[in-house]
Amino acid sequence: MTGAGRAFRMASEFVAAVIVATALGMALDAIFGTQPIFMIVLLLLGFAAGVLNVTRAAAEMNANAPKPDPDKLVPVDQDDDDD
Amino acid sequence: MAGTDPISQFKIYDLFSFGTIGGDADGNGGFELVFTNSSLLMLITVSVISFYLILSTRGRGLVPSRLQLVSEMSYEFIANMVRSTAGNEGMKFFPFVFSLFSFILISNMIGLFPYILTISSHIIITVALALLVMTIVIVYGVMKNGFGFLKMFVPSGIPLPVLFIVVPIEVLSFLSRPLSLSLRLFGNMLAGAIVVKVFSGFMVMLIPLGALGILGAILPLGMTIALTGLEFLVGALQAFVFTILTCVYLNDAINPGH
Repeated sequence: MTGAGRAFRMASEFVAAVIVATALGMALDAIFGTQPIFMIVLLLLGFAAGVLNVTRAAAEMNANAPKPDPDKLVPVDQDDDDD
Repeated sequence: MAGTDPISQFKIYDLFSFGTIGGDADGNGGFELVFTNSSLLMLITVSVISFYLILSTRGRGLVPSRLQLVSEMSYEFIANMVRSTAGNEGMKFFPFVFSLFSFILISNMIGLFPYILTISSHIIITVALALLVMTIVIVYGVMKNGFGFLKMFVPSGIPLPVLFIVVPIEVLSFLSRPLSLSLRLFGNMLAGAIVVKVFSGFMVMLIPLGALGILGAILPLGMTIALTGLEFLVGALQAFVFTILTCVYLNDAINPGH
């Protein structure tokens, strides 16, 4: 997958959760006449659901990504403090 | 000037009407069933797929011809994808997944022809496809697992008090799937179609400037060619992404509970 494709996937996963939650909250408010309580609560839950979606998508992409070649890894210099 | 408006390509116009359902005698109200240019393109897409697959596999050669090879490779490609994401039980959804993939792929490719609408650049098409996927996931999940389908929203190994927060989040995450699925396909195809049209519109606008304009039009021409190549990639990639996410969601219906 291209970089832009990955970015678009992440963005749509996050935005969709927020939009759906807010719309659901506004609908519940309209039904019960409790503006704006449900919208606020569901907006916050929507953010959480969006983050959950993004972490799941990222975990899936990491699982599908090819393993790095161990020969090409640069050894880490352990003593990198400034003393 | 003709052809410089990047939005006019998305226009839907009626080709013929099947008649009106409901409404009063004066022709007010009611629901008119109309065959539009989008319907025509969907019909063409389905015919192209059907004719290609039927004609190319007609020979049933043990050593496949080149055309038959493409059909067999597309079968193998989707079958491996379904098996690896949804398991062997997911193979009962293979006809659905294959139809979805070929429909999106071929309609995106047909939409690359100049003057032809990309049907997946209308959100109603992508939403209909995504809702079809989610309906199948929910109906099959409930049919197979009964109330066990709801285990999908309850991750294992979580203490009871935390569940009061986690379950609504999981439910919202599930509800957001059809929207993200449809928004992604719609957004990519819409943006691609507009960008190609904008750059090709620059050429038409530059030509009245005389010799200098014609010389300058080479730059947007190069951009248009490059973007058309990119659109091939994006169209195929979005068909692939839509299909693989369908498989992932079907896997949730087959094995609920993480």
